[in-house]
Amino acid sequence: MTRLLVADDSETVLLMLERRLEMEGYDVVTATDGFEALERLREAGSQKPDVILLDAMMPNMSGTEVLEQLRIQGSKIPVLMISAHLDAQEPDRMRSLGASDCIPKPFEWEDLIGKIEELAGNPPSDGDSSPDGDSRPDAG
Amino acid sequence: MRFNPSLTSRLRIGFLVLFALLLLVSLLGVGRLFQVRVNYEDDITRFSQLELESERLRSAFILEQAAARPAIGQKLPSQTELNRAAANFSEAAGRAHDLTGDEAGLSSSLSQLIANEAAWRKKVAQPLVNGNIPSPGLESRLTKEVTNSGDALATGTRSARDDSRDDARAETRNTTLLVAAGLAGALLAALILFSGLINSMRAPLGRLVEGARRLAGGDLRTRVEVGGPVEIATLGRAFNEMANSLERDARERDRIEQMKDDFVLTVSHELRTPVTVVKGFAEMLTAQRKSLNARQYEAAEVIAESSAQLQKMINDLLDLARSDAGKLRIEPKATPVEPLVQRVGRQMRPHFEERHQRFTVSVENDVPEVEADADRVAQVLANLLTNANKYAQEGAQVRLTATRVGDEVEFAVSDDGPGLGGEELDHVFDRFWRAQSGETQEVGGTGLGLAIAKSLVELHGGAISANSTQGEGATFRFVLPIAKDGQPTRTEPASRTKAGAPG
Repeated sequence: MTRLLVADDSETVLLMLERRLEMEGYDVVTATDGFEALERLREAGSQKPDVILLDAMMPNMSGTEVLEQLRIQGSKIPVLMISAHLDAQEPDRMRSLGASDCIPKPFEWEDLIGKIEELAGNPPSDGDSSPDGDSRPDAG
Repeated sequence: MRFNPSLTSRLRIGFLVLFALLLLVSLLGVGRLFQVRVNYEDDITRFSQLELESERLRSAFILEQAAARPAIGQKLPSQTELNRAAANFSEAAGRAHDLTGDEAGLSSSLSQLIANEAAWRKKVAQPLVNGNIPSPGLESRLTKEVTNSGDALATGTRSARDDSRDDARAETRNTTLLVAAGLAGALLAALILFSGLINSMRAPLGRLVEGARRLAGGDLRTRVEVGGPVEIATLGRAFNEMANSLERDARERDRIEQMKDDFVLTVSHELRTPVTVVKGFAEMLTAQRKSLNARQYEAAEVIAESSAQLQKMINDLLDLARSDAGKLRIEPKATPVEPLVQRVGRQMRPHFEERHQRFTVSVENDVPEVEADADRVAQVLANLLTNANKYAQEGAQVRLTATRVGDEVEFAVSDDGPGLGGEELDHVFDRFWRAQSGETQEVGGTGLGLAIAKSLVELHGGAISANSTQGEGATFRFVLPIAKDGQPTRTEPASRTKAGAPG
């Protein structure tokens, strides 16, 4: 079962993501800021998550700071950044910080699942999952 | 402070001075002419009388001669007649003396005549009356002297009269010339005064005109240098006060506009998170259809649809707010047209199928790449197609085309739906505007789609337009610039397979 670590400062958003991702069949661990996300990673021990979802903007310690910390530690876990910025340069900026991919807020659910699956290295599902996989030409 | 009389007092002083000068010159001139005329008339009268008196003196002398030496054979010399003639002579001489006035020449001529007559009477007439015959030489000499001095008086009088006439003429001429010169001088003085007045107004008025033009041109920091006569200076100060007020208003308006932009930006941003949550949970519920009863499922579906609509509206508002604040950024780069158009067509196709509309996508062969932000162009195309999908009736035909036109690529979305009237066309890109005809009541949407499309196209340096005839469908076109060194669109294998799939 694919394991996910999800960090978002809004508890309702976090709850929604947790419930929906669980419904999709993922094993979900949540954190409400960057410190907590790093804490959960340490607690996980060898049961490391397959993909980390980070909200770019969080109080105390932001997603980008967590990302930097992870890369300094040499972690290879793929990170999907969730960013509210609509700026066209945002995906490139995130990637230059070491993010594996980036999805803008708000997103369509199918897009999020498609990206998670891609980063988890799961083979593309044959069904309806992602007609928009190529919807961002700058993603590839 | 410098002496700076007001415009009205300047004008008043100017007119007063001019009037006084004209009056003075006129009065002096006319008075002088009148005086010359009166003097002339006096002189002429006086000299005429003097002439008359000199004739009388001559007659009296002839009578004296007749009394002293009567014609032969008539009668004896008469003392009485001599005395009467002499009295006449004296009377005439007295009157003539009064008439000579201060004319020295005439006066001395008259005195000479009187002296000569007295000498003649004493040495010739009186001896003759007394019977003593004077020597013929003496008589002839003294008589001649009297006659000569009488002639001299007559001649002198005539020439004095001529002189007086010439003097009067000369005086009249000179006075007339003087008056003319005086009038000309007064007018010149007035001219200098008024041109000074005009000059004192010209520079400050010029500055005011220039300032007003600059202000009208939109430079609200324009102020004029205050100067000139009091009224013009007051006008300048009033102008500056007006400019101050305009600038203040404009700054206030900008501030309010900024507040409004910030407000919309903040509110839509803050709304996004809760809407995301509502939409997410609603979608989750609809995915669990089996564990819900029919009514619960229906409610979940309505919540999901409504929150999706709300989310779209918030995103549209954010886009517009960013566009207004100049914060909406695009990242244009050389973008192939065909895959972009096909992708949007693929995403939109289910909506057309739902309404049984015939939807065709065609991209001209070898259309060059455009300089554009692909996601944003996709957004514009999706907005236009959504519009056509909503407003055209079921079973209608909708076409999406891309063709090269000169240095640009034209994208067109056309339908054979109800179309729009001329007045509606004018508002079609306005915010929150929605066509009021036909089925529109059941048409959802925010009324922001076309406004955003326009903002985005213009951000790309392109232009968007709408054409329609009521009852015959509508066409929306926009153009984007061709990318520098852009390659003609190659239809990639992946794109081809996918393009074929839904159609």
